[in-house]
Amino acid sequence: MQRDVGSFPLAPGLRAKLIGAGFQTAEELLEIGPCELSKEIGISKEEALETLQIVRRECHSNATRTTGEPETVKKCTALELLEQEQARGFIITFCSALDDILGGGVQLTKITEICGAPGVGKTQLCMQLAVDVQIPECFGGLAGEAVFIDTEGSFIVDRVADIATACVQHCQLIAETHQEEDFQKSLETFSLESILSHIYYFRCHDYTELLAQVYLLPDFLSEHSKVQLVIVDGIAFPFRHDLEDLSLRTRLLNGLAQQLISIANAHKLAVVLTNQMTTRIGQSQSMLVPALGESWGHAATIRLIFHWDNKQRLATLYKSPSQKESTVPFHITPNGFRDVHPPPSSQTPAEIEINPRKRPRLEGENQ
Amino acid sequence: MQQLSGRPLSETDQSLPRMLLGGSSCCGEVGDFEKVVRCGSMATKKLRRAGLSQELCDRLSRHQITTCRDFLCLSLLELMKVTGQSYQNVQKLLCKVSLACAPKMQTAYEMKMKRAINPSSAFLSTTLHGLDKALHGGVACGSLTEVTGPPGCGKTQFCLMMSVLATLPISMGGLHGAVIYIDTESAFGAERLVEIAGHRFPNYFVTEEKLFSMTRNIHLYPELTCDCVLKRIETLEEEIISKKVKLVIIDSIASVVRKEFDMKLQGNLLERSNFLARGASLLKYLAEEFSIPVILTNQITTRLNNGLDVQANIVSPADDLCLFEVSGASGSKDQELGYVTAALGNTWSHSVNTRLILQYHDLHTKQVLVAKSPVAPFAAFFYTIENSGLVLQDGKDHPDASWEGCSPILQAIRVRTSILKDGFPSATADTVKLEPPI
Repeated sequence: MQRDVGSFPLAPGLRAKLIGAGFQTAEELLEIGPCELSKEIGISKEEALETLQIVRRECHSNATRTTGEPETVKKCTALELLEQEQARGFIITFCSALDDILGGGVQLTKITEICGAPGVGKTQLCMQLAVDVQIPECFGGLAGEAVFIDTEGSFIVDRVADIATACVQHCQLIAETHQEEDFQKSLETFSLESILSHIYYFRCHDYTELLAQVYLLPDFLSEHSKVQLVIVDGIAFPFRHDLEDLSLRTRLLNGLAQQLISIANAHKLAVVLTNQMTTRIGQSQSMLVPALGESWGHAATIRLIFHWDNKQRLATLYKSPSQKESTVPFHITPNGFRDVHPPPSSQTPAEIEINPRKRPRLEGENQ
Repeated sequence: MQQLSGRPLSETDQSLPRMLLGGSSCCGEVGDFEKVVRCGSMATKKLRRAGLSQELCDRLSRHQITTCRDFLCLSLLELMKVTGQSYQNVQKLLCKVSLACAPKMQTAYEMKMKRAINPSSAFLSTTLHGLDKALHGGVACGSLTEVTGPPGCGKTQFCLMMSVLATLPISMGGLHGAVIYIDTESAFGAERLVEIAGHRFPNYFVTEEKLFSMTRNIHLYPELTCDCVLKRIETLEEEIISKKVKLVIIDSIASVVRKEFDMKLQGNLLERSNFLARGASLLKYLAEEFSIPVILTNQITTRLNNGLDVQANIVSPADDLCLFEVSGASGSKDQELGYVTAALGNTWSHSVNTRLILQYHDLHTKQVLVAKSPVAPFAAFFYTIENSGLVLQDGKDHPDASWEGCSPILQAIRVRTSILKDGFPSATADTVKLEPPI
C-alpha cells in the first residue's frame, strides 16, 4: 500500500509523531507491531494498537474499492437512474396546478425550498405535506411518515388536525366510489390519530439546536425507517439574528445543506425548507428577495416562491432542473392547501386546466 | 407600580438617539446585543455538562471553546485539531454534544392530547364573540399576537381589556393569573382599567376588594429604551414563575424602536432587525415554555407605491401629510403616492404569528381585521370603543363587511379622516384622505 501516512484519519499530534519518526507510507507502518511502534514514537501501547487498526481498516477498504466493488460510493448507470426515477413517487400538495408544475408533486431525494412573504402560506403547505405523505399507497400516496423541525413556532396542532380530517374525508369519498377491498382496509389505519402520531415534531429555538438536531437526524431516521419527508420550517429565522459573523453563517448553512442532501439521498426522502424574504435596498428602490444570501440559493435543488398579486396568492417555480418556470394561483381553505377553482363557464377539458402564467426569470418580486 | 428590587423608583431612563457606534443605555453599561441569550437556550450549555471529560474540556477551553454552541460551529478538521482526537472519535464527540443540546421529540398526537387535557390553556377569549370564533377561541397561547393600527384606534384599550380578562377566573373565561404590562409610551391608565372592568363585568366586580385584587395582579413596567426593553424581556422568565403570570403585553414595541433607530444612518436597518428578531425569539420562547399569550402593539408607516418603503420609515406621521399633499396638489386624488400600513418592516412581520389590524371606518365605528393567522382565514369585524372597552357591532348591516385580505405586510390601513368628531359629514377640501380607494 503506497498510501501516504498523512492521509489517514489519525489525530494530528499522532500524525506529526509518525512523520517525525520517518514513516511515510502505510506499507512501512503495517510491517511493524504495536509494541515496537509505541517504543519508537513514544506513545502508549493502546494508542499504537488503535493507530495500526485504523490504518489496516483504511487499507482494506481501499483495496476493496480498487477491485471495483463499491462500499460507500454508490454508482449506477443512467438507465438504472431512469428506472428509479420513473418508479419513484411524489408527495402531492392537493393543489393540482402546483403538482403539475412540479412534475407530479414534491420530489423525493431532492431539497425543495419554499420562499415567501409573511402570511402567504408556507407553513400551511408544510403542514399539508406532512399529512399528504401519509396517504396510503392505494390512494396514490407514499404511506410514509414525516419529521417536522420547527424553528419559528408556527406549527399549530389544531390546524394540522383540521387538514388531516379533511384529507381522511377526501380518501373516504374516493373509497366509496371505488368499492375495492384494499381501499377499505387501508382506511382503517388512515385515521386522524394515526396521522398525528406519525408526525415527529422537534422545536429548535436557535441555530445550535438546529445543527445538533440535523446532526442526529440520520440516527433517528435509521430507527424510523418509514419517514419519507423532512420539513425544516424556518431555516432562515435562527440564522438571521444571532449571527454577526457572516462567513461563519455561510459555512454553517453550507454544512447544513450538505448534510440534508446526503440525508435525502441516503434515506430516499424529500426535504422541504421554508425561507423568509428580506428587503434588498437598491439605488432607487427596494425589492423583496429570498433571505440568507446568494450562496444559499445553490443549496436547494428546487425553489418555489410564494407571493401575492393583489388579493391572489401565487406560486412560482423559480428554480428546477427538470421543470420549466411557471406560476400558478392557489388558495388556503379551512381544509388546507387547495387549487383555485376554475370559473364555471369553462366547458372543454382543455380549458379546465388552469393556464400557468409564464414569466421571465424573476430577479425578485417588487412587493 | 412594581419594579425589580434594588432600582430606585425615581430613576429616569434617559434615551439618546441611537448612533451607529455605541449608544447609551439605562443602566450605565454599553448597550450590547451580543449578550448571550440567557433564557431557554441549550446553546450556552457548558461542555462539561454535556458529558465530555474534564481533561478534554480543559483542553478545549484553552482554545476558547466552552459551550456546546462553540463546539458545534467548528468544522470536523478544526475539531480534530483542537481535541487532538481521531476522525472517528471526533464524530462520537459530536454525537454526544448534539444529544446534549438537541430538542426532544414529540409526535403531533402527543401535542394534541396535551392541549385536549387542558383546553382553557389554549386560548384567552377576547369576549368579542365574532373575533373569538374566527380565531378558534381567542388570542392564542404560546404564540405572539400583534395588534397594529393608527393612533387612537384602540390598541391600548384592547390591551387594557385583555389585562382585565387575564386576571379573571377560568370559569369566566380568564386565565386566573397575573399580567406583565411593559409600557413604553406611558399610555397605561389605571383609572381607565378600573372603568373597563367595572362596566364589562358589573356582576363580578361588585366590591372594591375585587377591583383592588385585580389591579394588584397587573404588574406595570415602564421602559423607555430598546436596551431596557430587551433586558426586561430577559428577566421575564423568573418573574413569570414567581408571580404566576399568564399574559405578557408590550405596548408598544414600535415606539422604542422608531425613536432610537434612525433609518437614515447606514447599518441601522440591520441593527434594528437584529433587535426585533432577538426580542421576538425571546418572547416566543417564553410564550411556548409557559403556554401563555403575548400581545405586542405596533404602529403604522407609509409605504410609498414605487417601492421606496425603506425611506418611508424616516417619514414621521406628520410628514405623511406633506408627502401626500405634494402629490395631491398635482391633480388627481386617485393617484396615490402611497398608503398606510403596519410598521417595523418585513422581517418583523415574519416573526409574529398573528396580526390584528385596527382601522377607522367612519366617525364612530372602527374595524378589526384578522390579517395574519395560522388558524383563521381573513376576517373583519366592526366595533366601537365604549366604557366597557371594545364592543363588537354584531348584526349591523355594513356594505363592506366581507373583506378579501391580501399580504399582511401590504394591507392598507384606514386612518382618521377628520379631526373634529362632530365635524361635517362630507369630506371637505381641508381633510386629508390617506386611504386607498376601495
